[in-house]
Parts: sequence; C-alpha cells; structure tokens
Amino acid sequence: MKQEDFVAQFNAEWVLFERWLNTRSDISAKKRKPLASHDINDYDFPVRYRRLCQHLSIAQQRGYSPLITDKLEELMQRGHHVLYRPPAPRLRRLFDFFLMEFPCVLRKNHRYFWTSAVLFYVPLISMIVLIHFYPELVHSLLSDQQISEMEKMYDPANKADSLGRTSGTNLQMFGFYIWNNVSIGFRTFASGFFVGVGSIVVLLFNGISIGAVAGHLTEIGSGQPFWRFVVGHSGPELTAIVISGAAGLRIGMAIVAPGRKKRVDALIEAGTEGVKLAMGIFAMLVFAAFIEAYWSSIVWMPDVVKYSVGGLIWALIIAWLWRGGRGSSYAT
Amino acid sequence: MLDTKRDIQTPEGLALTLYPAGPVPRALAWLLDFIIRLLCVFILSIPLAFLGQAGSGILMICVFILYWAYPILFEVLRDGQTIGKKTMGLKVVNQNGTPITWVASIGRNLLRTADMFPFCYGFGLASCLIDPHSRRLGDLVAGSIVIHVDRVTARLPSPPVPADNLAVLLKREEQGAIVNFSERAMHMTQERQRELADLLSSITHLRGDENVRKLLGVANGLLGRK
Repeated sequence: MKQEDFVAQFNAEWVLFERWLNTRSDISAKKRKPLASHDINDYDFPVRYRRLCQHLSIAQQRGYSPLITDKLEELMQRGHHVLYRPPAPRLRRLFDFFLMEFPCVLRKNHRYFWTSAVLFYVPLISMIVLIHFYPELVHSLLSDQQISEMEKMYDPANKADSLGRTSGTNLQMFGFYIWNNVSIGFRTFASGFFVGVGSIVVLLFNGISIGAVAGHLTEIGSGQPFWRFVVGHSGPELTAIVISGAAGLRIGMAIVAPGRKKRVDALIEAGTEGVKLAMGIFAMLVFAAFIEAYWSSIVWMPDVVKYSVGGLIWALIIAWLWRGGRGSSYAT
Repeated sequence: MLDTKRDIQTPEGLALTLYPAGPVPRALAWLLDFIIRLLCVFILSIPLAFLGQAGSGILMICVFILYWAYPILFEVLRDGQTIGKKTMGLKVVNQNGTPITWVASIGRNLLRTADMFPFCYGFGLASCLIDPHSRRLGDLVAGSIVIHVDRVTARLPSPPVPADNLAVLLKREEQGAIVNFSERAMHMTQERQRELADLLSSITHLRGDENVRKLLGVANGLLGRK
C-alpha cells in the first residue's frame, strides 16, 4: 500500500485520537472538556492507542516518510504518557501508606533497623554510663559554650515559662524543629548512598552527643527538667533517627552487596524502600516537632502526666511499627 | 558516548526515543529554580517579619517546603517539570519513559544531598558525565532520567508535482532518500535543491530545475500520489 492511500484510509482515526488527547486526557476530571457524540469514548482509549501503535509500526516497517511516522510517533508518545501515568493522588492511599504499608516496609528491613538501633543506642547509653563514672568526659565532647547553654536551658532554678529553650514561642520552635530535624533525617538517609558510611557517622555522632547531654544534665542535678522535657517527643524522634539510619544503610548495602542483581537494579529497589521509609520519617518527625513545641515545653504539667503521656506515645509507636499492616496485602 | 539518544521498548513493541539532557542545561534549570525559591523566601519574609517570632517559625516551615517539597510537587503534578526545567525545555521521566511517579521523584530529590557532596554538586556532576544517560546519583537510585522535551521536526508535505517514475529500480533506502528530499525541499533554496538533485543526474539524465521537478515527481509517485 502506498503511503498516500494509507493516510487516506486511517487519517480520520488519527484526527479523532488527537482530539481525544487534546480534550479528554487531563488527569484532573474537572479540566476535561465534555464528550461530543462522535468522539472516542474514554474507555475506548487504550484500544485506540494500541491501534495507533500498530499503524505506527506498519508505517515504520513499510518505510513511509518521516512526515507521517513523526506525526504518528508524536501521537504515540502522548498516548503512552497518558496510559502509563501514575494515578491521581488519593487521600485513602495516604492513610493506607502510613498506617499499614510503612510498618510493613520497616519490618521487611528489620535487620537494617536493628543494626541502626545498635549504632545509635549503644553509644547513647554508654555515654550516659561513662559520664556517671567520669563526669569530666563531657568537656572533651562538647564545647564550653554548648555546655553552659544547655545547663542554663535545663536549670531547675530557672523559672522560665517554657522548658527546653532559651527563648522563642511555640510556633517559632515548631518551624525550627521541622526545618532542622526533618532535614537532618532526610540527609541521614541520603548520605547512606556512600556505602552506608554517612548514615553510620550520623548515627554514632548523634548517639554520642545526645548521650553526653543526657548524662551530663543528669549528673549535675538538672535531670528532672531534662527528662520531663524529652520524654514526650523522644519516642517518635529517636525512632525516626534510627529508621533514617536504617534507610541509609539499606541503600549503602545495595552498593556493597547487590546480591544476584545488577548494582543499578539493586539500587533502584533499595531506593524505593528507602523513600517509603523516608516518608514515614517525615511524618514521625513532624509529629515529634509538634509535641516538642507544644507539649514538651509546658512547665506546670505534673511529672506523672508528662511521664505517662511519654510512655503512652512510646507504646503507641512500638505497637504501630510492630503490628501495623499485619495481615494486609502489604505484609507479603 | 557521543550519541545520547536512548531507545526504550514500550509494551506495545515500539521504540520510544528519549534524548537525555546533559549537565549544563540541567545546572541552568537548577539555578533558575534556586533564584525563584530565593525570591519566594525573600517576598514571604517581608510580611512575616511583622509577626515577630511566630513569623520566623512560619518562615522556617516555608523554607522547608521550598527546599524539599518544591521540586517534588512540581515534578509529579506538573508533568516532570519544575519552572526551571520548563524554561530550559527539560523534563524528568521514569527510565522506561513513563511519567515520573511520587516515589521516584521523592527519591531523586532526597538524594540531592549525596549529589551535592563534597561541594557544589561535585558527585552529581561526575555521575552525570560518566553515565551514558547523564543521570546523577539521585536519578540512579530513583530510576529516573532528565530528557529534552523538544524534538526537531520540520517537515512539510512534498510540493504538488505530477507523479513520475524512474527507469531504474530503486532500493528501499534510495526511495527513502528521494522522499526525504521532497519533504525538505520547501525549506531549501532553489540553488540547494538543484545542487542536491544534480547528484542524481547520471540516472535522470536531466539537470537544474527540470531535474528537481523530476525528482519531486518521483517522490510523489513513491508516496502514491496521483
């Protein structure tokens, strides 16, 4: 068949197809124009698309001129784009992700989680114990300025109207915690790309400095305001640090030991799971920032309330990560 | 290495051609986005300054959104293009040519931290130059690829000349060359048309304008015009 005959036979179909792409292909249903009677029905689009693909391969096979193959290729690319685009975001999917999929992904990577937990909690607890026996150790870990600032912040004699900060309103601190803590969480994850070294360094460093602060404040008798302040947000925050380390180690290991895959493929698989973990880290750190800014800072709250709420949050987080999504399709 | 074209097999068995973008247009797109974000922070900071400490809290949340969420939201919701990418005629797609997904976009943007190492996108640039498809580290992890949107296609239907044929049998590629000549003829000067057509004088036994008309007629014959 000569090119001109081919075009004459099928051009009407291509015009309709292009018309459908122009009027009905928008992902938002509101932006789609109403369907005219002779138009392609939305449900028929995949069939029409495959037919167009067939026309294109016939045209290529028969060596028709670029005038026609370029036109068909353009339509094919636009159709491909519509057919294979991700679905419009749904609120339900978001809930499902955080309540079920995220804990499942985390449990699937439990070895990285526990490795990360050891890298973080062992230095943290060792520092608290070490400083109990060698209190002067804190001076080789933190600068004098840092020590005096933190001593002032948690001075039991200090009758400030909010705990855990030298100045600033709740909203200001909320903004600061989001920008600072979530960025650190993301960077901990991303720096795992360098065969995990970045994440390991961040975990050890944070473990040591948090341990040093906690140990020192407990030793000098500021333990009461300090532990009162941190007990509320420690659950989501410390767990999120550990998970961001785990996500980083996951990516690092894909480079070190890709298993029976190409490194690039192993990396993409690790990246997908790492990103899902990072999304959970984001949610946990925003939650932690909210508690830290609006709840932990309250001074007048009795100890018993602070500690029981803190314990409850820890329990909820453990229950969520341990049981969340069990039995769902994400668990397999 | 020299030809950056990348053909992707679609499920329909066709080749989708992508044109990966190199570091220079991408750096310019990034710079443009950076300036836009900087301006946003600057403009937001003026009214927020009146709110005192609360205002600085809101500003930090805005900075967070502009720093981390801006590229992700634009890429997923605006068809793979941030404002900078759109200006530079670039877009990011999954490496199978489909529109970028949430997970891939988040991945490539969080991994910027690794690309920025040790300074000024050093590792990203190195990866971009080494990888045959100019992917930075974030693109490797996310399985994404930044491509040029514009494709050069300047074709016009061949001029309406009565169909003709040649005395010799032409091979497929030869037929293609003559049709290509006819479809590009409208973009060429008369002199260039004559010059190209005269390359076939030994077959057509004509020269100059007559030769051009002859070849255009042959092309129309091959295309099946009456």
